[in-house]
Amino acid sequence: MKQQKFAVTVDDLTVAYNYKPVLWDIDLAIPEGVMMAIVGPNGAGKSTLIKAILGIIDPIAGSVSIYGKPYKKQRKLVGYVPQKGSVDWDFPTTALDVVLMGTYGSLGWIKRPGKKEKKTALESLEKVGMLSFKDRQISQLSGGQQQRVFLARALAQDAAIYFMDEPFQGVDATTEIAIINILKELRKEGKTVVVVHHDLQTVPEYFDWVTFLNVKKIATGPVKEIFNDDNLTKTYGINYKVSVQK
Amino acid sequence: MTSAQLEIQLIASLVAIACAIPGTFLVLRKMALISDAISHSILPGLVIGFFITHDLGSPLLIIMAALSGVVTVVLVEFIQKTKLVKEDTAIGLVFPAMFSIGVILISKNANDIHLDTDVVLLGELAFAPFDRFLLDGMDLGPKSLWTIGVILIITLSLLFAFFKELKISTFDAGLATALGFSPAVLHYGLMSVASVTTVGAFDAVGAILVVALMIAPAATAYLLTDNLKKMLLLSVFFGVFSAISGYWLAHWLDASISGSMTTILGMVFLLVYLFAPKRGLISVLYRNKQQQIEVSLLTFLLHLNNHTEKNERHINHLNEHINWQKVRSKSVVDLALRNNMITIDKDIISLTEKGKNFTDKAIDYIITNDDSKIESIKEDFFLFRG
Repeated sequence: MKQQKFAVTVDDLTVAYNYKPVLWDIDLAIPEGVMMAIVGPNGAGKSTLIKAILGIIDPIAGSVSIYGKPYKKQRKLVGYVPQKGSVDWDFPTTALDVVLMGTYGSLGWIKRPGKKEKKTALESLEKVGMLSFKDRQISQLSGGQQQRVFLARALAQDAAIYFMDEPFQGVDATTEIAIINILKELRKEGKTVVVVHHDLQTVPEYFDWVTFLNVKKIATGPVKEIFNDDNLTKTYGINYKVSVQK
Repeated sequence: MTSAQLEIQLIASLVAIACAIPGTFLVLRKMALISDAISHSILPGLVIGFFITHDLGSPLLIIMAALSGVVTVVLVEFIQKTKLVKEDTAIGLVFPAMFSIGVILISKNANDIHLDTDVVLLGELAFAPFDRFLLDGMDLGPKSLWTIGVILIITLSLLFAFFKELKISTFDAGLATALGFSPAVLHYGLMSVASVTTVGAFDAVGAILVVALMIAPAATAYLLTDNLKKMLLLSVFFGVFSAISGYWLAHWLDASISGSMTTILGMVFLLVYLFAPKRGLISVLYRNKQQQIEVSLLTFLLHLNNHTEKNERHINHLNEHINWQKVRSKSVVDLALRNNMITIDKDIISLTEKGKNFTDKAIDYIITNDDSKIESIKEDFFLFRG
């Protein structure tokens, strides 16, 4: 695999909430085309890292670049799946309409989605197997279906890099497999996928790259080389044993 | 109908539309209370504007009032951001302070003018037609009609231009930021519109009732639709309906117009709250009741499925065995018969093919929570509609 080109570069990133650092001097380079898990305990700053990369939270120090340029100039290259709990699912809208929101970024201000955008949204819904639910009000969807709609929305962004905040949270095994297959498909197309992940057991199976995070960056690299008890213990602070299939 | 009556209804309707639009977004953003805060805290802005221009009709009053509305929002957010007090407390601290500054300014300096506290609180729609907009001696209609008309046109243009942006920043502020639609800009835009609208509606309905015009139509519409555009249209409809019928109620009762409008708004909400087809109280209670029967049905079918021996399937045995009252057993057996799920032969109940199929699917769904296979039975049973 060619690993010289970096999709995302993070330099000396520090983020604080009320002057308490939640991310401390993070340096991170994510090679193009990897499927990377960000792992770490609760409060390690995993979501914060993604939000800081996407400009949703302002860091107090450091910088982020997407293919060598600031995020603000590269928005269209980046897709985002927030945590499912971050929105109000009682909002009066349909699955299709939520997916359509993924196309808003390429439209810019004022312009409205037209036929082309609707086609993209329908295709994205189809990819996640949710086409038959397109007119369903979003509160009428199950948790797994809502997560698929979120994934479809990111697909509609047609990005080069995808950031996903716990896409497997609260979904059943079938949906998890469906989602991971779509992510693998994305990687095959040469896209970079970054996922905040909780289930350590599945890291070696799903991902080829991993970043250990606990306020500071503990380690980052190929799963085969660095996903070991030593790094897990350093990250989680307890003697962590996980069977890694090498 | 006299022209004054027509003018009053027209003004009331335009006020209702202008309020319903920002109101819908406030309700969806769970910021209904902010409208209360804004409506009270525009008072100092109005008074200061009046001191500068000495003209109640000056547009500067609207600008100053809208500004103090936005200042309120900024102050609330600033106090809340320190995390020393919660948002509702911050609102409760800021707007009385702003309002009392206004009250003191009026009582100190403006005793002799029309800007008295009663009008500020309750408005007086009945006087609106007397204040004419004259240009070169030509009568162009009541001033408040022009004021609220201009505000409404601005609100509508902004809504059409930024509908998509408002929608995404209301639904998912994180994604809106990531895509480059600054939620802060949209937030303060919405707050400014809400403030300006409040000022425009102020004359007509006063500071307290303008809140009802913003929140009640949107809250009513929210119970009736799953579509944002329809919600906006319904809010507008309920607003206008209440404005006009409120006027006639006031006419009939010989009472305050704004009070009657709000009463109608409240009654419309109550009716919808009770009788809305999907989210109304009665519909929810009915659904719960049905679900309860359906759970019983499933229990019953499962029992039949598990037992082939005849004595377990005797109709009287079921009464005793499943431990239900007669009435409930009967309604469950009836429901099963109606759906061709069982047959009764000499008091022995058997599952039909359809009944067995249904039981398998339902159990599978309850265990796996995977609803892909039960689409066909969703329509008939509340239990499977999530």
